[in-house]
Formats: sequence, C-alpha cells, structure tokens
Amino acid sequence: MDVFSNVALGFSVALTPANLLFCFIGSVVGTLVGVLPGLGPVGAVAFLLSLTFKMEPATAIIMLAGIYYGAMYGGSTTSILVNIPGETASVVTCLDGYRMARQGRAGAALGISAFGSFIAGTFGVIGLMFLAPPLGRAALRFGPPEYFALTLTGLTLVAYLTQGSPIKALIMTILGLLAGVVGMDPISGEERFTYGSLTLRDGFGLVPVAMGLFGMTEILENLAILATQSVYETKIKGLLPNRKDWKDSAWPIARGSALGFFLGILPGPGPVIASFVSYALEKRLSRHPEKFGTGVIEGVAGPESANNSATAGSFIPLLSLGIPTSAIMALFMGALMIHGIQPGPLFISKYPDLFWGFIASMYIGNVMLLVLNLPLIGLWVRLLKTPYVILFPLILLFCLIGVYSLNSNVSEIVIMLAFGILGFFLRRAGFEGAPFILAMVLGPVMETSLRQSLLISRGSFGIFVTRPICAVLMGLTLLFMLWPMIWKRKTAGKDRSPSAQENASS
Amino acid sequence: MKRADVTVALILIGLAAFVLLEAGKLSFGSMRVPRTAFFPVILATLLLILSLIFLGQALRGAPTGRGIDRIEAEGWFRIGATLVTLVGFALALERLGFLLSTLLLMVLLLRAIEPQAWPKVIAVALVTSLVAYAIFGWLLGIPLPAGVLGI
Repeated sequence: MDVFSNVALGFSVALTPANLLFCFIGSVVGTLVGVLPGLGPVGAVAFLLSLTFKMEPATAIIMLAGIYYGAMYGGSTTSILVNIPGETASVVTCLDGYRMARQGRAGAALGISAFGSFIAGTFGVIGLMFLAPPLGRAALRFGPPEYFALTLTGLTLVAYLTQGSPIKALIMTILGLLAGVVGMDPISGEERFTYGSLTLRDGFGLVPVAMGLFGMTEILENLAILATQSVYETKIKGLLPNRKDWKDSAWPIARGSALGFFLGILPGPGPVIASFVSYALEKRLSRHPEKFGTGVIEGVAGPESANNSATAGSFIPLLSLGIPTSAIMALFMGALMIHGIQPGPLFISKYPDLFWGFIASMYIGNVMLLVLNLPLIGLWVRLLKTPYVILFPLILLFCLIGVYSLNSNVSEIVIMLAFGILGFFLRRAGFEGAPFILAMVLGPVMETSLRQSLLISRGSFGIFVTRPICAVLMGLTLLFMLWPMIWKRKTAGKDRSPSAQENASS
Repeated sequence: MKRADVTVALILIGLAAFVLLEAGKLSFGSMRVPRTAFFPVILATLLLILSLIFLGQALRGAPTGRGIDRIEAEGWFRIGATLVTLVGFALALERLGFLLSTLLLMVLLLRAIEPQAWPKVIAVALVTSLVAYAIFGWLLGIPLPAGVLGI
C-alpha cells in the first residue's frame, strides 16, 4: 500500500463518530491542562489512562495524543496572558509573548502561536508519517543486543539532556531502573522485592507512580508558595496577525518546525528543549537581537512552532522502535500495552489501522485546536481565574479517583502518595522525576535484552561492540558520558563565549 | 544546599547497600546464564558508585543544585495538612465509602489550603462529591466502595 491509501485508511478510522468525539475531548482537556497550573500533561495523561481501559485501543491513543498536543497549545495562552507558563515547553514564550500582551498585542501573539503551532504540528505529523514506517522496518533486524544498546543510549541521553546536574539525573535513572525491577522477573517469573505484597507482584504501576511524581509533586510545590495570580486585564482584539507579523514570523515558524521535529525524535524532553533552542536560534539569526525580550513576534512564533512539531517527532522512537523517549511517551507505551499491543518495529505493519488512524487524528486534532483555541481564548482566561483553593482540591480528588479506579485497590493510592512525597523532596534537592519514570518503564526491556544478549554471547560483553549498530550506539553513549568533561576542559581557560552562556541558561 | 546533598547521598548509599543485601538472597546466576539477582546487583553497584561520587562533590561543596525558594512555616503547614488529609482519605475510603470520604476530603482540603468560609466549604464539597460520584460511579461505571452509607 502506498502512503495515500494508508492515509485514506487512517481517515476512515479517525473520522468515526466515537474517535472524532474523543479526539475533541482530548484536545479540550489538553488545552485545559495547558492553561491551568498545577497539572501538567504527564499528570493528565496518567489520570486519563485509567479511563481508557474500556475503550478501543485506537480511541484511547487518539484521546491521549489530543491531551498531549492540546497542552502544548494551551500552555502558550497562559504564558502570553499571565506570564505563567502552563507547562515547561512554553516557558520561553513568556519572554516575548507577555511583553507583547503588555503592549496591547496579546491578540497577535495568541494568533501567531496558534497558527505557528498548527503549521508546525502538521509538518511534524507529515514527518512522522514518512519517517516512522521505514525506521520500523529497519528495526526489524534488531536483536537483544541492539535493544540493550538502544535503551542504554536513550537513558544516557535523557540523563544528560535533563536540566540540572547530570549526576543527579543519572542517579534518578538508576533509581527508576531499580523501581522497575520490583515484581516478577521478566524471564523466570520469580518474585523480587515484593515482600509478600500482592500489589507489588506486577511491579510498581506506571499510573500511580507518574501521578505521584508529576501530579502530586506539582501540587505540593504550588502549596508551598501559594502565589496569587493576577490576570493581566486586556482587551484581546484582532486575533489575526497582520501582514507584517506574518512576514516576520514566516521563517521562524519554518525553522521552528524543522528544528523541533528533529529534536523531538531525540530522547529527552523534546518540546522543552526545542522551544529553547528555537528561541536562541531566532535571536542569533535576527537582525535586531537586542529587541528579543521586549515583545518581538519572532520570539513567540519560533518556540511555539518548535514545541508542537517536537510533540509529533517524539512519537517516532516509540511507534517504530518501541522505545519511549520521555515520561509522556512512557505513558503512551503503557496505554498501548494495557490493550495488549506492544509498540515496536512490528507495530505499524501489524496494526496499520491504529497507526494511520492515529496519524489522521493528529491532523484532525490540529485543525480542531486551531478552530477551538482562537474563539475560546476568552473562556480559557476566565478559567485561569479559578482560585487555587478550589482548583487544587479538585485536582487532588481527580488524582485519587484516577488511581483508585485502576484496580479498585487502595494500595495504589498509597503508592501514589509515597511517590508524591518522595518526588517533592527529591525535586527540592534538585532531582527531577522524568528520568526516573522513563527508566522505570524501560527497565524490564533493558534487563531482558541484557540477559538475552549474554545468553547468546555466552557471557561475553564483546557482543555489544562487535555488532555494527550496537557499536555505533555504544560509541554515542560513551561520547555523551564523556562530553561534559571534554566541554569543561575546552572552556575552562577561555572566557565564557556567548554560546556557552546561552547553553548554560537554557 | 550542602547539608541536603550530603543527607541525600547518605540515604542513597544506604539504599544501595540494602538492595545489595536483599539481592544476595536471590540467585545471581553467572555471566553466561544471568539470573534474577543479576540486574539488581549491577544497578545497586552503579548506584553505590554514583552516590559516593555525589557525596564527594557535596562534601567539597560543589554547586550541584538550583537555588530554591525557602518554604515558610505556613507553606509547610499547608503541605502537612494536605498530606495528612490525603492519607486519611486512603484509610477511610473503604470503610466510610466513596461519597462520605470524598465529602470529608473536600471539606478538609478546602479548610487546610486556605481556610474558606464554612457555607462555601460545605457547598463546594457537596457539589464536587456528588458530581464526582455521578461521573465516575454512574457514567464511567467504576466500582466505587459503598461503605457505611451502603450506596
């Protein structure tokens, strides 16, 4: 089948009434999550995961994807209007977006971010459509050693790309892998570290841990310092950017789309990094870099496009290799596996309706968001004024019910609370949750492939360097581990160049 | 920051030692035929090494963390009160039932985070617990514990 018949198949799946409805629900909930502080996309996907058990797998993944890219749209709204990023991928949008709003150009900023997101999102989906299938076919030749190398490279990359100190991220990765060990041995079925608990026999559940580390931790942090938010009162008029705005934004959107897509494929918080890199790039290329930060439209158009195409890009490793590259992709993997579907090289050929339906739904979702977001901005702003005192109890209640409804098991609530408290204190000590959750999901894949590789090679670790793909991946891993040291030595003597400063600040 | 880092490092070293001890009770196998304890032992060893490096860095006072805002006494109170309420909910859920526990949860949270006027607390708590019950119990058909009310 060629691409066109595949796309036609996809639309036939995505356009069924149920899937359209859930695509819509996902997009709206996602926007809501992006707008409201206190619950990020990871927490929201974790929460809604428990509601997708009874759905068709296609419907489930369509809705969850809607939440993910909806949050990217919604996050920018609060950055621009209130100077509070709804989620981390729109932090940079505050820089120029909020200044634009202060100058009475909120409409243009919101408009260009919605259009930029739409264009970049569409670009990302097209990239995903053309890149994932061949990659999946190539991955068919992967054996256990390749999978081990792949997970190792992924986890190392994430550890080094996560903000903050690499050693802390590495420690979190190891802790996550250890958490993934709890439960039954994936090869022999023996129980490990369960201490007689029935709940722990299947290991720590992804949902309670993710909700604890992301949902609860975030609320606790917000409770620590109860900021009173003030929405900047402004008449939002003229959502359509004018001709000059378009001229200024055209290249930033194009560059942001391409950049975001490729950064999204790499392991790590793709959308976040993409938005920062795009901002730095636009500033570098601009003829008036000194104006960045005072409300220039390029500073909104570039990053907002980049984070949306990164969203699409980040699905590639999961759908073609079966390797999630961020916390949210780990949850998508969980969502598919609940339905007995193993993402990986066989995924696209085995479930063409699912893959192409999902792709088509992302096109539809992007259109929906464009149509939905522009006229509804007033509503989102009003929602923003919901006082925290009402909002936080509601979010906590949703977390509790969501976790309980998984298996009607109170132990899952206890696990969530434990990880929430743990995550809160760890984050205060500078340890982030993302490497942990990713490592926890990849742990069993990594262990199985490591042990199988050693069985094949009769105990020789040489198997990881003699196979070409493995050797390349291992080389990459080594390079990444040694990079900070090389970098330090190179820059130690010299004055810090502007680029080093930018890297450090992002 | 330094004291916090040292504390975390020591806890991590303790954890690594604990995992090594516990994994000792499982079968390790060999390089040729790795068994259940193989992977955990590797991980715990790595954790031990990383924590020791981290401890060294912390003792030398190397800046590793981000600057964080100090939490005032009120903040700790809000966090503490919220956590106690959530743990209470977990304990009460199957005894009191969903509706009653949720009602209590909402009342306590609305008072704990920033005390609201009682009429508002009661109204919000009643509405949210009933709506949550309707959505999750009826609409989505999730089995919720009935408890003492029997519904």
